Amino acid sequence: MDFTLTDEQKMFRDTVYRYGKEEIAPLCEEADLRGEFSFEIWGKLADMGLLGLPFPEELGGSGADVVTCCLAGEALGHAGVDGGSLLAWGAHTYLCASNIYNFGTDEQKRKYVPKLASNEWIGCMGLTEPGAGSDAASMRTTAVKKGDRYILNGSKTFITNAPVADVIVVFATIDREKKHEGITAFIVEKGTPGFSTGKPFHKMGCKCSSTSEVFFEDCEVPEENILGGVGAGWLIALSGVEWDRSTLISPFLGSSMYGLDLCARYANERYQFNRPIREFQAIQRRIADMKVFIEAAKLAIYRVASSKDNGQMLNPLQAAVNKVYAGDMGFAMASEAVQIFGGYGFMQEYPVERSFRDSRLAAIGGGTSDIMRMIVSRIMLM
Amino acid sequence: MGVYNMDYELTEGQKKLQQNIAAFCIKEILPGAQKLDEGPSEETFALMRGNLKKLGEAGFLSAGFDGDAIDLIDCFVAGEEITKACASTYVSARASVFMCGGLLKLFGTKEQQSRYLPSLLKGDRVGAVAYTEREAGTDIASIATTAHQDGGRWILNGVKDIVGNAPIGDLFLILAYTDGEGGSEKGMSVFIVEKDAKGLGIGDPIETMGLRGMPLSAVNLDDCEAQEILGQKPGEGFSQIQRILSMGTVGITSLSVGIGLSCMEKATQHAKSRKAFGRNIGSYQEVGFKLADMYTYNDLGRMLGIRAAWAMNNDEHEAHILGACAKLFSSEAATKIANMAMQIFAGHGYTKGTDIERLYRDAKFGEICEGPSEIQRTIIAKNELDKFL
Repeated sequence: MDFTLTDEQKMFRDTVYRYGKEEIAPLCEEADLRGEFSFEIWGKLADMGLLGLPFPEELGGSGADVVTCCLAGEALGHAGVDGGSLLAWGAHTYLCASNIYNFGTDEQKRKYVPKLASNEWIGCMGLTEPGAGSDAASMRTTAVKKGDRYILNGSKTFITNAPVADVIVVFATIDREKKHEGITAFIVEKGTPGFSTGKPFHKMGCKCSSTSEVFFEDCEVPEENILGGVGAGWLIALSGVEWDRSTLISPFLGSSMYGLDLCARYANERYQFNRPIREFQAIQRRIADMKVFIEAAKLAIYRVASSKDNGQMLNPLQAAVNKVYAGDMGFAMASEAVQIFGGYGFMQEYPVERSFRDSRLAAIGGGTSDIMRMIVSRIMLM
Repeated sequence: MGVYNMDYELTEGQKKLQQNIAAFCIKEILPGAQKLDEGPSEETFALMRGNLKKLGEAGFLSAGFDGDAIDLIDCFVAGEEITKACASTYVSARASVFMCGGLLKLFGTKEQQSRYLPSLLKGDRVGAVAYTEREAGTDIASIATTAHQDGGRWILNGVKDIVGNAPIGDLFLILAYTDGEGGSEKGMSVFIVEKDAKGLGIGDPIETMGLRGMPLSAVNLDDCEAQEILGQKPGEGFSQIQRILSMGTVGITSLSVGIGLSCMEKATQHAKSRKAFGRNIGSYQEVGFKLADMYTYNDLGRMLGIRAAWAMNNDEHEAHILGACAKLFSSEAATKIANMAMQIFAGHGYTKGTDIERLYRDAKFGEICEGPSEIQRTIIAKNELDKFL
């Protein structure tokens, strides 16, 4: 048993935190108000080498372990980088590039991973459909074989990065009768005839990630663009869950740490009734609850991450616990942060307002809290 | 990227300890749990003494006490398993070994340790720590008990109003002011008092809502002659008690998680077998999702407890804060979990004599003992706020 980070991991976290605080966080308020993807922030993430973090150096990455990937997300969130930019980073790195790296042929890896790691290309992943959210296996997007090509028809929605992406890993069924076993993943490049994206959605939070529908109308994809083999799509989608429930959650943890820092500073500086509001127990209660949340969520996230690093199979109970707690309590704590700031907390120029909106996503994206509880209770009742 | 450190797994030795204690407690301790819940009587006092003796003889009371320092992970593992069998027994064992024995191990002289500790660890004698008074709970500095020297002896006067194990105690550690001038920080000492000391009076047994098997009473000190001061010199009592209470957050976490796990296991079994409208009730989301929340709370509470134990074992800077977080989270989780379990059992958990009814009452203790939730929050908040002063 050991809960410590290596010196290298600690140093890396500190470096990313400082960089995020100095170089990226100052850009986030304006970017969030514009409500669109920020290529400037994206460039900063790329400059730090964060776009290819988990991939080997020969593919343009940094060869980082999963704990280190989580530390990067945590550190950036803690530094005050907005949830949208970090969601874009997560979807690009862990849902698109990682899937290609983990399931692609050597050729696919060499073709796509270096481009994605170097900021030449932006990636996204398409699983959710208008009629298939948590029940992803009920998807309607089809892929029909025609010679050495597949013809894709259907649409996907809520696709993070779609409006700015150069490549998408998309899931379609080759045979709806086969249910899960018919689901197949394809790599589709922007510009492929029949592939288009919708207008970016206006979202409640995580606004610097650009989200839209994607459409496939008789979109022809060469057979060699199948990822992981025919029928392997469901497995690939499920493997994404491991990232969803560790690395993609870590920025939300970081954001809570940022919120706690802001609240602690504010509670010391803000005077009402001739004393700093830190002296009021109702403020102390919120500060304490935030700290407890952070310590518990940290343990849950790094347990998933370190077990993945240690070569263990993902424990679905541990992953679900992590997701449901970080999602539900993270939002509750962001709400408490707004409360501490009072009227100021309701203003967009205060970052706790943004965190409040951004954090709402954690209980929805990548498997809702309800689905997490369903998973846990099903296993318990087996 | 470098050599890897992080590993959440219990070691093989810890897992073995866990399995052995669990197996032992199911056989030896669990059967007496309902009897102990009947509350104070000669019979239940004898039963509790017997439980401690059995645990001691099997070598489980000394879990965490084998090395030079106290291993709080072993303490946690043992605490959780004893609690799952009988929460009262754990609290009584903890008062004797961890609180009383722990103070001796941490602060006693070599002579004091060899004189008193082995018999506590074997369960031959029962220890108790008396610090709370009617007007002084968390605010320990407000105690009124005093000690003065008369010749070579220390003479204690005062009343300690709720002392765990007092009715069956053989050895008492008692907090008193030795020097009214020194203030709380420097003016208090812990005294070692044997059961048959002159002037030591044990009050009538006190009944409680939960943990009814834990013997409890007041201790009256009427010119009571103490054996000696714990440690070398007077004036260190306040910090000694603070230290054991801070480390004690791990034990209260193991108690809370143990109760939570018992509730969860029983509620899960019930949800699998109980039918309503032709389906197992577990298949209804209102039941299944409660089970999921119970699992989540237990899992997180357990991690926080072990994390705090590990931090304390390794003298981490914020170890005491992690302990406060663990106690706060797990004890509040335990009452929520017990409430959910009762909800799932409904009438069958509300009935006297059922496990859930007992666990529901037992669960409350964690939130109010040894620094209630309000105090834990104050400690945690101050630590965070001071970082930005």
